[in-house]
Order: sequence, then structure tokens, then C-alpha cells
Amino acid sequence: MPSFILRRLLHAIPLLLAVVVLNFLLIAFTPGDPITLLVGDFPAPPEYLEQMRREFGLDQPIWVQLLRYLGKVVQGDFGYSFANQQPVATLILERLGATLELTLTALAFASVLGIAFGIVAARSASRPGRSLADSAIQGASSAGYAIPDFWLGQLLILVFAIGLGWFPSQGNNPVRGVSPGWEGFVEHLRYLVLPAFALSLRYLTLITRITRAAMLEVMGSDFILASRARGANEWTVVVVHALRNAAAPVLTVIGYNVGFVLAGSALIEAVFAWPGIGRLLYESISKRDYPVMLAILLMVSATVVIANLLTDILHRLIDPRIERS
Amino acid sequence: MTHNNKLLLNRRRMSLGALALAGGLVTTRYGRAATGKGTAVLGIDADPPTLNLGTTTDFAAGDVSAKILEGLVWLDPQYNPKPSLATAWTVTPDGKTYRFTLRKGVKWHDGRDFTSADVKFSLLEIIGKLHPRAAPVFKNLGIEVDAPDAGTVVVKLQKPYAPFLSQMTVFDAPILPRHLYEGSNVGANPANQKPIGTGPFKLAEWKRGASIKLVRNDQYWDGDKPFLESIIFQVIPQAANRVPALQAGEIDELLDFYTPKPEVPRILADKSLAPRRGVNIPAVYFMMFNTQSPLFAKKDARHALAFAIDRQRLVKQVMNGIARPGAGAFGDGFKWLFNEDVGYAKKFPLDAARAKALLAKAGVTPGTTTVRMPFDVSRAQMRAQSQIIQDNLRQIGLEVKLEPLERSVYYDRVFAKKDFDLTLGSYFSAGDPAIGYTRLYNTYTGTAPNTNASGYANAKVDELLSQAATATERDTRARLYKELQVILNEDLPTLVLFDEETVDTATKKLTGMFPALDARDQWAGVKRLD
Repeated sequence: MPSFILRRLLHAIPLLLAVVVLNFLLIAFTPGDPITLLVGDFPAPPEYLEQMRREFGLDQPIWVQLLRYLGKVVQGDFGYSFANQQPVATLILERLGATLELTLTALAFASVLGIAFGIVAARSASRPGRSLADSAIQGASSAGYAIPDFWLGQLLILVFAIGLGWFPSQGNNPVRGVSPGWEGFVEHLRYLVLPAFALSLRYLTLITRITRAAMLEVMGSDFILASRARGANEWTVVVVHALRNAAAPVLTVIGYNVGFVLAGSALIEAVFAWPGIGRLLYESISKRDYPVMLAILLMVSATVVIANLLTDILHRLIDPRIERS
Repeated sequence: MTHNNKLLLNRRRMSLGALALAGGLVTTRYGRAATGKGTAVLGIDADPPTLNLGTTTDFAAGDVSAKILEGLVWLDPQYNPKPSLATAWTVTPDGKTYRFTLRKGVKWHDGRDFTSADVKFSLLEIIGKLHPRAAPVFKNLGIEVDAPDAGTVVVKLQKPYAPFLSQMTVFDAPILPRHLYEGSNVGANPANQKPIGTGPFKLAEWKRGASIKLVRNDQYWDGDKPFLESIIFQVIPQAANRVPALQAGEIDELLDFYTPKPEVPRILADKSLAPRRGVNIPAVYFMMFNTQSPLFAKKDARHALAFAIDRQRLVKQVMNGIARPGAGAFGDGFKWLFNEDVGYAKKFPLDAARAKALLAKAGVTPGTTTVRMPFDVSRAQMRAQSQIIQDNLRQIGLEVKLEPLERSVYYDRVFAKKDFDLTLGSYFSAGDPAIGYTRLYNTYTGTAPNTNASGYANAKVDELLSQAATATERDTRARLYKELQVILNEDLPTLVLFDEETVDTATKKLTGMFPALDARDQWAGVKRLD
């Protein structure tokens, strides 16, 4: 196992390097100039624009800019944001917590409910004549998978924030001041509900479907029949025997979707004014804030690499056959 | 001319009870309130890039910084300069020398004394070099600044400039602390993120992407002011969420700049809100012709479009009626300069038949020509306008290919490459046509955005624009601008589509709102009733 992890980590280095170079070049060849966006709505004198370009190193040829950037990234310096006039690392660290909270909540919610619905659907489907629950879950998950998350977010705001007034429409904390202790925590959770749900629905439905399919396959196995024949109760049969054996594909789907959830948070954070890095990415794209874009894209790529690695490790722990092969 | 005595008399007449007089004259008589009361939450669209107002014209930066920093003067809604860090000023008859008397006893938020050295440093080293709007003006005027003593500043211009005092506000000439900026790289100075000012509020906390909190400056120079304990700016990036937040009481104020026009009727109908509606600081929306393109090099083609475009419909459908149809080269926002005799209403009434005839004269066979119209897609008004214009022009046999572009790409296409036939834009006057509208018509060959990209170059126009900027008498300026309209409404390098009206809104729980021309300015006197 340790040599496997080391090998995978070594593979990640050229991959991440390629991500940085590709993103850098893509952004460099996109039309648009961050400096003209920065100076505002009045024409700035050309010498002023030149001075700004010099300050940010934008007057250099692309390859010089790229090499300089790579040199800095290796040292952990992600550069300076034009649009926010702050070091990129500071900006991202300030907002990372909010994004982790939102994405982990959404993932956890999607995983727990998705697995539960998947199990219910599979059990319902495996018993002839009693597949009403299965049909309902299948139908709902098809619909849920098809709804774009940012649209769902706006719909949720209209209904639950503006219409019914149950939840706040934006932000992650009341701006007039956070109440201390338990009350403040509950208040904060109210801000989390809508964006986390909007972000999770797509993955919830995906996990439901994968769990259902995997469980159906396992439920038909001989060892399930055998454990039933031994008189094991339903909980033991479904959760201990069937779920454990159906876990591998479910885990894969969850692991491989970490990156998508993180990427999806960009739009959800923009819709709900959630002050995380997703929104920072969204804003930095419209402001051509290259250093911030590059750093966030690199971070998302690194997260995907790490999540995939963890998924593979877990896979091996759950199913020893993989290691042996 | 001395403004000071008259101003003091006016203010004295207006002052009531604890309202302090200008100059801090009665500070001791009324004493100082121990604390302010209440919080106002103000909606903004995004985090400002910087809070150093000396280096940006970003709207949200101005919104936040105008509570922290101050200029020498502020402007009342009638454009009269009022004392802020300067208590009085004189101007020599030739309009070239301004002598400012500074307010005494003013302290920076970090406790240091404010002096004329701060003013001199700010004007010469920051505003004169780095302010996107003021630096080119200062350079053109060749300004010199002298500080003969700690309480006096003398500014000398090489030539007179009518809106000079209008540009001495916090938005164009904020006074910054010399002791924090001198000898540093201004662009990377930490004070840009944690500003130290002389204003009524101090920065307390900036949660990026969420909110910015200001608290009362207990050492403020103006009597009992400020009355609020704190001001919080809440960042609401989604335009559609801002008016609901205002109606739900999540925020207390939303300025026109952040308000989506389709939502304005909801604001006007809401009894708990107190909107200020009207042409405040004029801004014009326009369609610029590329006079270097084969078709629009012909004046007949430009005139044809002026007859074809339904400006009334634009006002109704694009702006929900919160605008006035384009009236001439400078709109009619500045009443004193509007030349009705050559106005669009007389010159270019809606007339499709005449439009078709003129287009035929310009050599266009209906249905055979397509023109390209790039515009900034991030602005909802431009999207809506482009579709109506496309419809109007289709009716006279001219196809318009709409090219919605992301802002930076739009800047590149239109202003740097001049690769367009028609384009849409809007320019803010910033309180004077010389500041904001000259750039629409003066000869410009550079690549900077928000300039005259039409390729129109007329030496006579340049001369008149320059004279109108330097004349000091209002009547002389009015005559010059009227003369300009005769030329520009005929040559028509740009068709003004409408004059924007603004609706700045606050909850009725706040009083003393919007005393200044710019709704972001003068918050020391705002009180919370509940």
C-alpha cells in the first residue's frame, strides 16, 4: 500500500504541472485586459496603464510570465490579485472555510440520503409487486438529476426565502451581528440549508441511482439468499451483507464527484452570495483576475487528485481483491 | 469670491438643536454625544477592489470610502460646493488660483493631526498621478500645490477650469494621510485595505465577499455627528436579490447603481421605503457610430438611424419609464446647457419613412445590409436596448447583428480595435459635462475604454469643448455648449438614446438621507429612528 500511495503521488506532479501550464495559456490567450477593467469607467492615461502593467508583470512576454509564475507557485506564492489588491493566498484562505463547509455539507447530505434512498428503492424493486417506492424514487431522481443547480437555487430563494420567508436568501451569517453560542449556530444553519440543498440535489440523485443499481445486483446473490436462509434479520442482510458488498461503486461515485461539487459551488455561491472560493472564482473570471483564477483552478485540480487517491485507497480497504490483483 | 460667510449664514439658519455648524464652531457649546445610535445596513454589489479612493472610481469603493475619507468640499444637490476639510476658499478673478483655508483640530483616525501637508501630498502624489478621472485633468491643468502654513493650501492652475471645485470632493480628490503613504508603493500600501481617514466612520472589519463594517469615529470634528453607531455594507452579488433584501428589511439602503430597473416599480409602490427619484448626477446612454465604417461614414445613414430609433420605447421598455428620451448631444440632464432649438425632438422625430429615404440616399438597398453592434453583455440595459434597436432598424430594412461580449472583450473590440459599426454605451457626467461628457466627442486616437471610439474628429468641436471647460462664467459655458449641440446634433457621431433618472432608496427608518448630490456622500447626519 505505501508504495502504491507514493507512486500515485508522483504521478500527480506532472498532472498538476500540466494543469497549471494549460490553464495559464488558456487564460493568456483569452481576449480582454485586466488593467482596463481595473481602472474603472473613466479613460485612464496610457502611461498610467503602462505603469500598472509593469507593476503586475503583464508587460513581459507570455513565456516569461509563465516561468515566473511557476517559480513562485513552487515556493507556495500564488501571486497578487489585481482586482482585490491582496495576495492570492490570503484571499483564498479567508474564503476556504466557507466553501469547505458548504461542499462537505452538500456531499454528506447527498451521500447519506442518496444511499438511504438507493437502499429503499432497491429493496422495493427486488420484491415483485411492491415497487411503488422504487418508481417514486426513480422518477424523482431522474427529475432531480436533470435540474440545473443554479436554477434550482434561484427557485429555492423565490419560494423559501422571498415567498415563505423561512430561510435567508443570501450570505452565510446575519450581517448585523452573529448571536453568541447555540443561538448563533442555529442562525448560521438556517443560512446553510438552501445553498447546501441546491448544491447536493444532483449528487443525491446520482448516488441514489448508483446505490440502487449496486444493491439490486448484490441482493440477487447467493450469499444474500444464504444469509436469509440462516435466519438473519433484515437489517443484517441489507446493511451488513448487501451494503458492504455494494459499497465499492457507490464510494467511487462519491469520490469522483468531489471535484464536481467543488466546481458546482462556484455558481451556487454566486446565487446565494455565499462568501467562498467558488464565488471568488466566478468574480475573478469576469474581472480577468488571472492569479486568482489560476490558483483556484490549481486547488480544485489538486483536490480532485487527492480525492481520487483517497477513493482508491478506500476501495482497496473495502475490497481486498483489488490489491491482490 | 468668498463662499464662506454666506454659507455659514445659510447653515446657521437651517441648523436645529444639536445639529452642529460648519467649522466645528459650536462643538464645545453642544458637547459630544457619548455614542451614536443604531446601525444602517447598505447593499453593495461586490467587494471594492481597494478603499483608497485616490486610485479608483469603482462605485462600491466610493460608497464605502466616502464614509471614511473626506474631500476639501462636498456638493449639495444644486452642485454648490460646501465646506468639508476646507472651511473657506477664495478664487482669483482669472480663475487660476484657489486658496483653501483648512478646518482646524481635525484628527486622522489613528490620532495624528490633519494638516495642509496631507492635502498637498494627496493632490500631487496620489490624485495627480493615480486617480483615473482626476489625474489626466490635473496633468492637463499643470497644477501646483503650495502649503504656506499648516492651515492653508494654495492650488495654482496653468489655465482656468470650470469644474475644479466640483472635483475637490471625496470622490475625485480624497485627502489621504501623508504619514502612511509617503515613500511607499501606493498601489500595495496596506492602508488601501485598512484606510485611515478623517471622516465620520472608521473601518472596523472587512469580511471579504460578505460584509464591511464601519463604526462611529468618536473624534469626528462635526459636533454630535455622526449619529449612527455603525454602518454595515452587505455584499449582494445577485442583482435579483437586492430589492427583495431591501423590502424584507435585511438592508436599509440600496442605491440606484445597484438596483435592477425592472424592480423599480416595486420600490416605488412600497410604503416602507423612501426613494429619491430624479436626474441627480446626469448620465447619458447612447449609441455610437463608427464614422470610419463604410456605411456610417455617411451622415445620411447616421441621420436615418436617428429617425428610426424609438427613444420613447427604449425609455418605457428598457428603463421602466425611469429615464428621459435622448434630447441632444449632451442629453437634457444639465438644464442650463440644453439647446432645445436643435434638440432631437425637433430634428429627429420618430419617422420610419424619412429614415428609409435617408438610408436609400446613403446607398442602402433594404434587406441587403447587415451592421454589427457589439455591446457589454453584463449590463442588462444594453441587452434590452440592443433588441429594440434591432427591431427598429429591421423595419427600415437594415439588419443588425447583435454581438453581446464580455466586458473586457467588448473594451478590446470597440475601444482598442475599433472593430464595430454601432455600439452601445453610457457615460456618467460626474457632475459636470466637462468632466464626464467631453470624452464622448473630443478627438481621440488611443485605445483606452470609455472614450470617443467613433473616429469623429472635429477641430472646432475640440476647441469649443476646451473653451467650455475653462470658461468660469456659467452663461459663457452655456453658450459654448449650446453652440456645440448645433454642430454635434447635425454631425451626429453619437446618438444619445436617453438620460438616466435615478432612484436611490432607503427605508423610512433612516432620516437625514441623501443631503448631497452624490447619494454615497455625507452620512454623518443620518439618524436611525427605531
